[in-house]
Amino acid sequence: MTVALIRNKDQHVSVRRSASAWPIGTVGYLVAAIFTGFCLFPFYVILTTALKTETAIFAWPPVWVFKPTLQSFYNALFVFGGRSAISYLINSIVISAVSTILAVVLGAMAAYGFVRFRFAGKRHLAFWILSTRFAPPVAFIVPIYLMVQKAGLLDSHIALILIYTAMNLSLVIWILRGFFAEIPIEIEEAALVDGYSRLQIFWRVAVPLVRPGIVSTAILSAIFSWNEFLYAMVLTQSRAATLPVYLAGFSNSMGLAWGEYMAVGAMAVLPILVFTFAVQKYLVRGLTFGAVK
Amino acid sequence: MRLAVQRRRAAWVLIAPAVAVLLVLNLFPIVYALYISVHYWTLARPQPPRFAGLSNYVDLFFDERFRNAVLVSLKFIVLAVGIELLLGLGLAFVFNMRLRGIATLRKLTLLPSLAMPLVVGLAWFYMFNENFGLVNWIWVMLGGTRVPFLTQGTLALLSIVAADVWQWTPFVMLVFYAALQALPEYVYEAARIDGLSGGQIFFRVTLPLLRPAILIVLVIRAVDALRSLELVFMMTKGGPAGDTEVLPWYLYTTGFLSLDLGYAAAMAVLMLALVTVLCQLFAGLLESQEAAP
Repeated sequence: MTVALIRNKDQHVSVRRSASAWPIGTVGYLVAAIFTGFCLFPFYVILTTALKTETAIFAWPPVWVFKPTLQSFYNALFVFGGRSAISYLINSIVISAVSTILAVVLGAMAAYGFVRFRFAGKRHLAFWILSTRFAPPVAFIVPIYLMVQKAGLLDSHIALILIYTAMNLSLVIWILRGFFAEIPIEIEEAALVDGYSRLQIFWRVAVPLVRPGIVSTAILSAIFSWNEFLYAMVLTQSRAATLPVYLAGFSNSMGLAWGEYMAVGAMAVLPILVFTFAVQKYLVRGLTFGAVK
Repeated sequence: MRLAVQRRRAAWVLIAPAVAVLLVLNLFPIVYALYISVHYWTLARPQPPRFAGLSNYVDLFFDERFRNAVLVSLKFIVLAVGIELLLGLGLAFVFNMRLRGIATLRKLTLLPSLAMPLVVGLAWFYMFNENFGLVNWIWVMLGGTRVPFLTQGTLALLSIVAADVWQWTPFVMLVFYAALQALPEYVYEAARIDGLSGGQIFFRVTLPLLRPAILIVLVIRAVDALRSLELVFMMTKGGPAGDTEVLPWYLYTTGFLSLDLGYAAAMAVLMLALVTVLCQLFAGLLESQEAAP
């Protein structure tokens, strides 16, 4: 039995080696490279369209070599029919940042509570919170619109901030639950012996230990707030409108201002790529709620 | 005894704020949506809402447009998620090969997952353009004639599917990749000892072991595809002739263009019921996953 296993292990290794030899390895490289190119190509299109002159944008056949110009970026930010993208950009940054801080603080507290305390109905509560992740914004938009209207908060930052906080809470709670659960209980018991209160242990001991988890959940929830479209479009008009609201205006431009909208699109998407790379280790875990690690 | 009280209080201090936010912005809107859905409730007229009983639901039942929207959504979900799962599964095996540098490619493929959906729609709208789009250019290079991708019924839906497949296949692939990485080697060794061929190993060993990952990704993607409306908003606005009018788009236009909130709320309630079923499914999967060693 043992002998058979070992022999098979050797065979196994040789099988793996042959997989990396020609031709399977080459085909593998080819497929992987083509797929990667496919994944990256639209980003290239967004950036180059934003850098093209208007003539080059509408050219047939498409122009591949051109002299890049920042005219579209300049127009979108400073000229463009009195509808500068700057205030949209600032609103996006403020709303994403504040809603993320709120979601992470409230979420981390709740996640820790779920991990370290036992109470009646805990499982139900946890799964109810999970279910809010699946809430389709479009199914909530009618009641939420009326609630926000009645509260007199249409076109206000605070409405979007609170809604995005709620939207990201389930994500934060479920990811951080996993991180807190990995802390050895002995560390916290030691702190308890040292006279820390329960809440002090949470804040001074547990939170610092899960910092990588907190950073990556914060990045994820900031991106989700940044990308959100429906609530922003229905609930804001100008004062608190975010980048997606600006981009939604494209349909009113009669399909002419490609350069300007691609420039704003590039500003909305390219910075996110850096962050995506930063959280790639936790991305699958985050998007599947720890179901896949 | 006093310690128990203290514990309970600490648990509530930690969990209550998050729960409060979700009660106000998740549970209450659901109840409110139910209430709105049994009223004639319009934003167009100043009259107060009038009780309507179940007539909004009855109208939905006979509404051709609603039936069409459900059907289009179904087509979209089946096509997009189906392609993403098949492609993702195949690619996971490619990226699971031990090839030098393939890890870098794998990390790069992640980038579409967190790109703002509205910008994804904008980029693909540009690429599918009939007059100067790149997809048409490639098609013409291959010897075809120009194709009106976004104004011909079936093609318009397929174009939206293509954009969704671009954004989500990498994520699906990464989930399967993570699942493949987690499969223990000894399973394959045992299979080889038993003399199973490569195909048999795939269908009788690998696929059954990937079942949880497949189901999890299926539910997550189905729910997300059901609620997404950014691509439709950017690329077709539901046209031509309702061929891409997915359920969220019909709901949104009913509520905020036709201003018929009662009718939109009835749709929202049905949608929530459907999502709840899917969510129960997911919770069950997650529990069995957590119970697994």
